[in-house]
Amino acid sequence: MCGCCVVLVLFCLGLLSAGNQKPQLGDAQLATNNPTLTTVSLEKPFCMFDSSLYPNRSYTIYLYVMKESASAMSSLVTDDSNKPLGSTFQQTSRGQLRPYNAAFFDVPDCAVPPRLADVRSFVHASYVLKQYLFRVGDDGTCLYDPNFLGVCNPPLAPDTTYRFKYVLVDNSEGMVKDQTLWSDPIKTRRAKLPMKIDTCVLVFLLLTGFLASVFFAIILKIIIKSIGFSDTK
Amino acid sequence: MAKTENGVRIFQGLLILGNVVIGMCGIALTAECIYFVSDPHGLYPLLEATENDDIYAAAWIGIFVGFALLALSILGIVGVIKSNRTLLLVYIILMLITFAFEMASCITAATHRDFLTPNLFLKQMLEKYQKPEAGNNNDKWMSEGVTKTWDKLMLQNQCCGVNGPSDWQEYTSAFRTTYSDADFPWPHNCCVLDSQGHPINLDGCKLGVHGFFKSNGCYAAISGPMNRQAWGVAWFGFAILCWTFFVLLGTMFYWSRIEY
Repeated sequence: MCGCCVVLVLFCLGLLSAGNQKPQLGDAQLATNNPTLTTVSLEKPFCMFDSSLYPNRSYTIYLYVMKESASAMSSLVTDDSNKPLGSTFQQTSRGQLRPYNAAFFDVPDCAVPPRLADVRSFVHASYVLKQYLFRVGDDGTCLYDPNFLGVCNPPLAPDTTYRFKYVLVDNSEGMVKDQTLWSDPIKTRRAKLPMKIDTCVLVFLLLTGFLASVFFAIILKIIIKSIGFSDTK
Repeated sequence: MAKTENGVRIFQGLLILGNVVIGMCGIALTAECIYFVSDPHGLYPLLEATENDDIYAAAWIGIFVGFALLALSILGIVGVIKSNRTLLLVYIILMLITFAFEMASCITAATHRDFLTPNLFLKQMLEKYQKPEAGNNNDKWMSEGVTKTWDKLMLQNQCCGVNGPSDWQEYTSAFRTTYSDADFPWPHNCCVLDSQGHPINLDGCKLGVHGFFKSNGCYAAISGPMNRQAWGVAWFGFAILCWTFFVLLGTMFYWSRIEY
């Protein structure tokens, strides 16, 4: 049911151009753990760029990530000749100064969107999830190599607000043909410290100590009385 | 005189009956406490790591108290039949000591039950589960115990975390220092596993897709057996004490009426 709704919404959105659309978080009913501490799973741009696609030409979608902070110098993703900026994670100080290119992938097929109901099937689940969502922050391996200068999609920072943008690039010309708006600010989760967890508990020791002492007092009294009773005999 | 004789006989009969019941209850208490001490659910390492395993101490005391009650009830029966002042005095004194021990055991079990809150286990799980090598041997022993117990709990009870898998996302943990959030938003034992012990769909588990991860918390599986243990030791103990109290009173009265 939910899968059908998403497909319908995607189809309706396809009738609009990408210029007034934004990347969205994955369906919260499907992906309940989103965003996490260091990752954000976005819906792939189904039918967002359809009005800009020409037949017999190949395109690639670039995903740009930027921290939403006052120190961002620029939020442009293209240079003067309308080519996409190749700024990487390391070059942009983890998205602090400018947007960085986190990934590129093929244009999702608008005509055959993934059937979300198929996620229930163990066999098709991986395929459907890969078709439908893109996980920003999924790959930390490029961080281990300080000389790595390529496109990197490393984990995001916790408790930080990010914005995302999809850009359509024509492969033969290498030029940007269309782009979405910047997404709404999406914040990664914040983790609390375990030492702040309150394990305080109601202590009944005072009450039970009182009850125990009363009880023993009664017992002692009875013993004393019975000893005194037998002595008088 | 015959009436008084009959009265004494009846009173003796009542005391003997009372002691028989105490003896049987003693056996039952020993059996119950042995069952609890044997830790059928494997939760003892969690208590050991809280450094407050007093409900187990209460169960240990219960075992010895049960034996003592059995032995003393036999002594009491013999003492009442023979109407021997010395025997009955010994019986009364030893029974009072046993009474005190059992009282301590019951109160310990009842009060320390309240110590076992979800937050206690949550904090322990976050600080000790999969803790990398650190600290002294004692620390390492407790962390290993907690890790093994949690792994077993998650596998057997199809659950994750204390309140749910969100525990791993809401708090930092020792686990998080070794395993990155991107690959392990929560431990892999929180994923639905196949017969070989691998997650049936790791992507689905990481994203939190229903059907691929365990969304229940394990607190019910922990608190259920512990509550049963604490209440079993405490309330059965209190019941025995109530009965023993009246038998003791009767025996003291009988002792005071025996002529030299």
